[in-house]
Amino acid sequence: MSESGEAPETHPPFAGERAPVSPRADLIAAAVLLAFGLGVLGLALRMPTFVEQSGTGLTAPGIVPGFHGTVIAVLSLLLGLRAVRRGGLRGGGGSGAAAGVPAATKREDALRLFVAAALGTLYAGFLVGRLPFWLATALFVFAFTAGFEWTLGRAGRPRRLIEAAALALGTGWAVQLVFEDLFLVRLP
Amino acid sequence: MLDALGMLGAGFAHVMQGGAAFHALWATLVGIVVGALPGLTATMGVALLTTLTFSMDHSVALLVLVCVYVGAIYGGSRSAILLNIPGTPASAASTLDGYPLARQGLAGRAMGISTSGSWLGTLFGTLCLALFAPVIGEYALEFQSYEMFWVAMFGIVIAGSLAGGDPLKGYIAGFLGLWVATVGQEANHAYARFAFGSTDLAGGLGLLPVLVGVFGVAEVLSAMRGPAVRAVSSRIDSVIPRIRDVLRYWRTVLRSGAIGTFIGAMPGLGEDIAAWTSYAAAKRGSREAERFGKGSIEGLMAAETGESACVPGAIIPVLTLAVPGSAPAAVLMAAMMIHGLNPGPMLAIQTPEFIYQIVAMLIVADMVKLFYGLLLVRPLLWVLLIPRERLMPVVLVLCTVGSYAITSRLFDVWVMLGAGLVGFVLRELRFPMAPLVLGIVLGDLLDKNLLRGLVLSGGDVTPFFTRPISAVLAALVALMFLMSIPPVNAWVSRRMRGALGALLRRRPA
Repeated sequence: MSESGEAPETHPPFAGERAPVSPRADLIAAAVLLAFGLGVLGLALRMPTFVEQSGTGLTAPGIVPGFHGTVIAVLSLLLGLRAVRRGGLRGGGGSGAAAGVPAATKREDALRLFVAAALGTLYAGFLVGRLPFWLATALFVFAFTAGFEWTLGRAGRPRRLIEAAALALGTGWAVQLVFEDLFLVRLP
Repeated sequence: MLDALGMLGAGFAHVMQGGAAFHALWATLVGIVVGALPGLTATMGVALLTTLTFSMDHSVALLVLVCVYVGAIYGGSRSAILLNIPGTPASAASTLDGYPLARQGLAGRAMGISTSGSWLGTLFGTLCLALFAPVIGEYALEFQSYEMFWVAMFGIVIAGSLAGGDPLKGYIAGFLGLWVATVGQEANHAYARFAFGSTDLAGGLGLLPVLVGVFGVAEVLSAMRGPAVRAVSSRIDSVIPRIRDVLRYWRTVLRSGAIGTFIGAMPGLGEDIAAWTSYAAAKRGSREAERFGKGSIEGLMAAETGESACVPGAIIPVLTLAVPGSAPAAVLMAAMMIHGLNPGPMLAIQTPEFIYQIVAMLIVADMVKLFYGLLLVRPLLWVLLIPRERLMPVVLVLCTVGSYAITSRLFDVWVMLGAGLVGFVLRELRFPMAPLVLGIVLGDLLDKNLLRGLVLSGGDVTPFFTRPISAVLAALVALMFLMSIPPVNAWVSRRMRGALGALLRRRPA
């Protein structure tokens, strides 16, 4: 068996997953998590104890989440202290995974991320349930594919748009067929 | 022994009835494709297929999910070898030697090694499952609320310590997961925790929508963020595995199989750690360690065997303790619950034959994987050519359908979306996802057993520390926690080295 491969375009999705983040980012995360942990603890303390029903109060609904909230708060405090020790309060926030990446690349990455998140939110958060599922799906797939492929340049754009439309309609139709008719799964 | 063989035979007969062969064929293929596509992981594949198999008979549904799981872990090595991009995180270790082999024009041989290593790994792990799961299951019957609480804590602490490289973030992720599980009505008084008057929140955050969000939506966002890179093309020689390679490295296969199965059985660690640990152990024990990283057949064999042996290994604690050994196993466990099965200590009493049905499913999946490993090279290359701009929106559509399908609530779609966005941010901040998932799965177990234990003891916490198994588990949790504190770890390592040095100096005298 002898076969030859093409040169596929792919993005390494797990690249840099183990690279550390900056102490500044850790410090901000610690602050948010500390507030979250304390918030959970506060809400847990305000839950009823049901002493009359249980006699002991040992089945109080707030015990377990209160424990989790306390642990999250304590661990976040430790994370924050570690971030401060590593220079989280200094200007620049130390080195992290994004250090050394050109500003233009960072901006482009952020834009791609924002567009993907916005389209995903628009689809799953608003369109689904308001439009027929196949239509919402077709609109989303077309917008996503056409939008991201728009930057590939003028050459071949009409063809790419037609392919995106075909993919969009095909996905809407195939999902309806496979899930609803073949596997009897209800769609939104 | 004869009983076990009889039940295994019955398990095969049960699994292979109806159109099981057809389901095994398509599901393993889906698994391999999901695993091979960079950005789609085994966890996501199993989560999405759980919704697709919702209306199926439970044994067919679980066969499909086991096939997807086994196929996806194997499929990741295709892109690792051909593109230097691990299709799933589990295949990262395979890139080290798989890609150099491909660049030397030996992509086919590398895939043959991957196929044979993966096949033998899953077979080894499945044998261990068949041998040890019934024994562990019987032993687990001794466990009461106190022990089950510590089992849950042990899962969180071990996953937090080892899953992401930063134990502090691992623990935080684990406890965030445990908190997610507390949202909604609790069991004792039906009080809706953190519901804020919403009937949707009172129903709790569904496990599958959260998992699909964390592993599906977050992966779509990760994949779309960076620029596309052009991978190096490679020619593919024969993909038929060479018996000589297997015979030459039989020690590596056995060692990696044992390591992979053991790591799989540890709560929440998963296939990537199994692959890395097997790889490191093979490198330490190898006579040709200098070849590792430059196209070592032994290295690739170790990584592939380790990650594939981890799959059955990760199912062992699911069946015996209701504690998943990896993220995909967590989803598999959720699927078992959705289909009315009751994984955990009572399984050995209520449905002992189920363990052998799972063994039969794993063997069927392993055989189908071998079949595709020999045939499926060219079509997979076509699949790898699909641009992410066209693949990722379809994945997001499947995530949406998957979240909605279980309970037909639009709220679950919003939960998926929210979990995806939060999961993405947590990932960016390098919080590991395995402890988070384990926390969500184990939250209910911990909640019920902590309160039940306290009620049984009248509020006295000493049984949590004085009962023999509880004491051992509590000591292990404390030890794991203390060892993750750098100064303590350094002090213990120093003392250990000192003691070892003194012992070695004394021996010649």
